[in-house]
Amino acid sequence: MNENGNKKREWVKTAAIIFLSIMLVLTFFSNTIMNYSLPEVATQYVQPGTVTAKIRGGGTVESGDPYEVKVTETRKVSSVAVRVGDEVQKGDILFYLEDAESEELKAAQERLEEAQEALEDARENYQLALLTEALKESDIRDVSGGVSVSAYRRKITDLWNTIFAAEDEIEPLQKKEAELEAAINAYKTQESYESSLDTGASLRLPAAEKAKENALEALRAMETALDAATTHYNAIVDSVSAGDADKKAAEDALKKAKENHTNAVNAYNTAVTNYNNAVQEKNNRDASPIHANLNNGIAAFELELATVKKDLEAATAKKTEAQNELESLGVTIGTAKNFDDMLDAIAKAQKAVDKAQEEVDELTAKSIGATITADIAGTVTAINVTAGNNTSAAMPVAVLQPEGKGYTMSFSVTNEQAKRLSVGDRAELVNSWWYDDVEVVLESIKPDPQEPGKKKRLTFTVTGSVTAGQTLNVSVGQKSANYDLIVPNSAIREDSNGKFILIVESRQTPLGTRYTAARVDVQVLASDDNQSAISAGLSGYEYVITTSTKPVEAGKQVRLTDNN
Amino acid sequence: MKKIILGISGGISFLFFLILLFIGGHLAKAQSSQQMAERWSDKKDVAQVSCFFSVNSKITQDQILEFEHSIDKALQDASVVQEAENPSARLWVDAYSADGKVTLSTDRGSVEADAIGIGGDFFLFHPQELLSGGYFSGNDLMQDYCVIDQDTAWQLFGSSDVAGMMVYIGEVPHIVTGVIQRPQGRLEEAAGLDGTLVYVSYQTLEELGTSNGINHYEIVMPSPITGFAYNYVKEQLGRSEKEVEVVENTSRYSLVSRLKLIPEFGTRSMNGKAIIYPYWENIARGYEDILAVITFFEALFLAYALILGLVFFGIWWKHKGWTLRDAWLRVKDKAERRMELSRARHKAKKGDTQELEFLELTAKPSRKKSGSGKRPFSRIGKSAKTGKSGRSGKPGKKEKAGKAEGGSGALDAADILDLEDLENAED
Repeated sequence: MNENGNKKREWVKTAAIIFLSIMLVLTFFSNTIMNYSLPEVATQYVQPGTVTAKIRGGGTVESGDPYEVKVTETRKVSSVAVRVGDEVQKGDILFYLEDAESEELKAAQERLEEAQEALEDARENYQLALLTEALKESDIRDVSGGVSVSAYRRKITDLWNTIFAAEDEIEPLQKKEAELEAAINAYKTQESYESSLDTGASLRLPAAEKAKENALEALRAMETALDAATTHYNAIVDSVSAGDADKKAAEDALKKAKENHTNAVNAYNTAVTNYNNAVQEKNNRDASPIHANLNNGIAAFELELATVKKDLEAATAKKTEAQNELESLGVTIGTAKNFDDMLDAIAKAQKAVDKAQEEVDELTAKSIGATITADIAGTVTAINVTAGNNTSAAMPVAVLQPEGKGYTMSFSVTNEQAKRLSVGDRAELVNSWWYDDVEVVLESIKPDPQEPGKKKRLTFTVTGSVTAGQTLNVSVGQKSANYDLIVPNSAIREDSNGKFILIVESRQTPLGTRYTAARVDVQVLASDDNQSAISAGLSGYEYVITTSTKPVEAGKQVRLTDNN
Repeated sequence: MKKIILGISGGISFLFFLILLFIGGHLAKAQSSQQMAERWSDKKDVAQVSCFFSVNSKITQDQILEFEHSIDKALQDASVVQEAENPSARLWVDAYSADGKVTLSTDRGSVEADAIGIGGDFFLFHPQELLSGGYFSGNDLMQDYCVIDQDTAWQLFGSSDVAGMMVYIGEVPHIVTGVIQRPQGRLEEAAGLDGTLVYVSYQTLEELGTSNGINHYEIVMPSPITGFAYNYVKEQLGRSEKEVEVVENTSRYSLVSRLKLIPEFGTRSMNGKAIIYPYWENIARGYEDILAVITFFEALFLAYALILGLVFFGIWWKHKGWTLRDAWLRVKDKAERRMELSRARHKAKKGDTQELEFLELTAKPSRKKSGSGKRPFSRIGKSAKTGKSGRSGKPGKKEKAGKAEGGSGALDAADILDLEDLENAED
């Protein structure tokens, strides 16, 4: 038990010694350990200063008003007479071309041949037509003198007018003819009727005479009979012998004879009247002028009819003639037109031949000993062909910068960037020591045609010793603005509570100065490449943490770097 | 003896569990690219979501712009409003990037480097160790900036203090805003950080370098309900399942996520999507694997310690010598005594001290009595202590001590194990 107690005490002693020595070591190195464990921070003063937001960009210097030297045909260049940067005068030779038939000349010659063939064909057609078509000389003459459409039209109109006039004439004549014929017929009918009446009257007169004679005869017979009867009666009455019956019979016979006599007298009277009438009628007829009148009328009508018929014939003949003429005119026009077309074709073909010939002549003139010369005075800014290569119509062979015209340069920036710039801003060259007299001024801010909504294209005018094709990098921006509180960009931090900076606060302790980080909420007013202007509750001249070796939290202790 | 070894092994196992837990937590915390949500807001209702697009997805800046415009509306619909006092505060920030190559040159020389073309607030998501200068943002007015690593700086300038200097990328001058220390290590190098690396703006990469197109997008935004941000981004930028991989960074190292990875062992390495992960995602995935293994061992160690603890507890429970009813009665008895005592005190104040005296007298012996056997909890404590201090010597002695104490009615679990051992030996 005692031994045990000793052992225990030994152990406690050892433990205490170890503990105390560890504590001692820790105390000695506490600063070092603390330094090792604390984040080391670099700081800077918050101080007043200026912020200049610059927009940078680069572009190729281009001629402001480039003059492109173009050749319209494909030609081989035998040598280039100038170099980029050379100044040339108007008329100076830029390129020598090889004496070779160009593609264009070949093509032009082919075109000329084709045109000539076409002309030949047109002429042959014309000759052939002259032989085959039955043409009047006047037609040919007309045609040769050129067909006047209006003349033809006038002619046709005249003919038609003639036809219409003839028709207008014919129509009333025909009507008149019909009328006259009808009248003649009517007269003739009347005449025959009158003649029949004459014949009747002539026939009735002898008959009436005969009837009168018969009536007279009958009357005389009746007179005789009456005398006999009267005698008989008187005889009877006188005769006493005669009985009543006989007397009566005699009386009746007398009465009858008297009646018959009266009747005969009446009949005779009638017959006389009839006869007288017939004579009267006959006399009237014989005396009447109606036949003469009728015959005169007929004669007059027939005379008129003859005239009308003559007129009608004349008008119809006129019409037929006009129609025939019209028909023949149609044929003439067709022929004339054919010929005219042919002549036109010949003229056209002739023109084509002339043009092709002209082209060939021009190209031929160009293809031998040809050069390309400068059309204006200026500086050569680009040469796009080399000796041995072909020129092409599409691409300019050289570009000249006209004398006295400036250069431009342009690049695109975002809308946000463009907002900070205004036309007239002077740009600085990024590597300004390379250039001594170059001046770059912002000339225009326009929407970028490639991304119209998103970007703006800045165009600068460049003056001074630059050449087209050179790349320039410039920075352009507003003038610097002064602010009270400026911190490096790296000092600005952010979390869900907004932007903030960490400043270092110092506190004196028995073990030395302790530094802690403190959070200050800020608002960034402006920024440039290196620093930001802030607004915050700061008096200025605080230390602000820019970088640290470990994440720094507000309120936690930090260690300053040695160089602070 | 076995009991001790088992006990110690249980303890060590638990210790290992704690160590692994700490290491796991530390590793997860160290992944700054995955911790944007924590940096962004103290509150827990924001989430960081990343999208990785396949080469064929051809996502454009315009599509991202369109998506950005839709976020505010979505947040408004979810009744998320800006509460910060600072008027410049933003509810969300995002960044996109494309990888490719650029050639940088100065008067001194030129370097062809792997490049990441960034848009948005890329460096908020991916803070780097800066040797000089600072970062730039895709939202800056000018986009002709670059951040280069120390190797590039050395090759181009012969120094790493070159912030503000000018380099040419494809004939266009760019300003170096900062120089970073490229992360180094086995995982980092395997993840793609084995060569020079520069960060340029997306515009620069597209116009002056060779770009593979936008293939990463990340955002930190309020997520009022679990998965809100993840689902929103997936719906809006998801495209077809094969063309995009959407990851919620905020919860990727949580215990649940880590446990989910364990059954994916083996299948996780398979990939059917034409997606090239950027280095930070490769590293994050590497750590996911490491953390999965750590979690697996955590679970093993914890399970061992827990099972052992449970077995010990079960044995002890079986031989504890008292029942829950005893404990209940005892507690009840004590409570009654208290009440009586207080009543007596009340009376004593009025002058009647007789009852109080009596009670105080009776209370003392009863406490002593409980110390000998009727206070099970204190008893256990004592027995455990004696077990450790007294039994460090010989087993025989311990056995006797156990037997002697066993006479008083309570046996230790360890004692019982020992007894069983003895019996086995006798057999």
